[in-house]
Amino acid sequence: MKITVRAFAQFREVVGEVTVLDLPEGSGLPGLLAALASRSDESRNLLFDDQGAIREQVIFMVNRKRVPRSSLDSIILDEGDEVAIYPPVAGG
Amino acid sequence: MLTDREIQRYSRQIAFIGEEGQERLKAAHVVLAGAGGLGCPAALYLAVAGLGRLTIIDSDRVEMTNLNRQILHWEQDIGQNKTASARDKLEAMNSDLIIKDVCELITGQNAVALTGQATLIIDALDNFPARYALNLAALAHGIPCIHGAVSGYDGHLTTVIPGETACLQCIFPDPPGGSEFPIIGTTAGIIGLMQAHEAIKFLTGKGTLLKNRLLIWDGRDSSVTFLDLERDPECRICRNWTQDAGSVGGVE
Repeated sequence: MKITVRAFAQFREVVGEVTVLDLPEGSGLPGLLAALASRSDESRNLLFDDQGAIREQVIFMVNRKRVPRSSLDSIILDEGDEVAIYPPVAGG
Repeated sequence: MLTDREIQRYSRQIAFIGEEGQERLKAAHVVLAGAGGLGCPAALYLAVAGLGRLTIIDSDRVEMTNLNRQILHWEQDIGQNKTASARDKLEAMNSDLIIKDVCELITGQNAVALTGQATLIIDALDNFPARYALNLAALAHGIPCIHGAVSGYDGHLTTVIPGETACLQCIFPDPPGGSEFPIIGTTAGIIGLMQAHEAIKFLTGKGTLLKNRLLIWDGRDSSVTFLDLERDPECRICRNWTQDAGSVGGVE
């Protein structure tokens, strides 16, 4: 199934603005993130910490609805879903 | 009450916000946390809009590397306290504005004491530990806080209304990494100005606030995206929020 990934901020520079991934049916958000992480070390580093856990500060949206931390692992994606990824900025 | 001179000075905006809106600006006290890339443009436009009272908090001195974006600080100010430098320019722009400058680092120890008199708080800080302390103080007092942040070509902002919207901790339960961020001056200018705009909307009551919405600015293609937010019922900071001061985690 095809899933569209919209990247924001720094993540856009690493994976590009829009990426379409072909994932096996029944894939979840962790599977999609693993597929993105496998593209480059930079990509992996933005999404996962040194222990391999999804970085807490990154904001994920599926079809423009924010995914709460507690359901990151349980979200199952469907054909045509759009996942947005925003690694927030902090400077001023 | 507005003076005749004020009615004349602000006539172009009184035509839009009314004398009542202008009076609200005059009666307001904004506490601005940070006199850097975000704080400078925010303060500049609030000063000329006719804000009555402004407290500026920043512990830094002006450095040469600030000059690409911190537009209230000029070459002549290098080595000066940012709060004093900002006050000088703002007073020259609007002598009616009452300014208090506080040259202190915002921490969990002083944030509550520094913000209690505010009508509105603007978070124009450059690091998350201080932002979290400010968030806590805003919640403790029940004072709305306009949060903005930038890096490179990227920026975001939202308005936190205690008890009504997601607080900073709900939105960003963990602080984004890094300490010194690359910043293009215009990015800080755009977000700082949007914070001032949000403040004017809040203070005059005219317009719709960015409540439970995170505006994400991408300067690469000048695009704006909105992210809908909601309070985290498990948020360790605001889950038990009530209007009484001292009712949020960690604040006495």
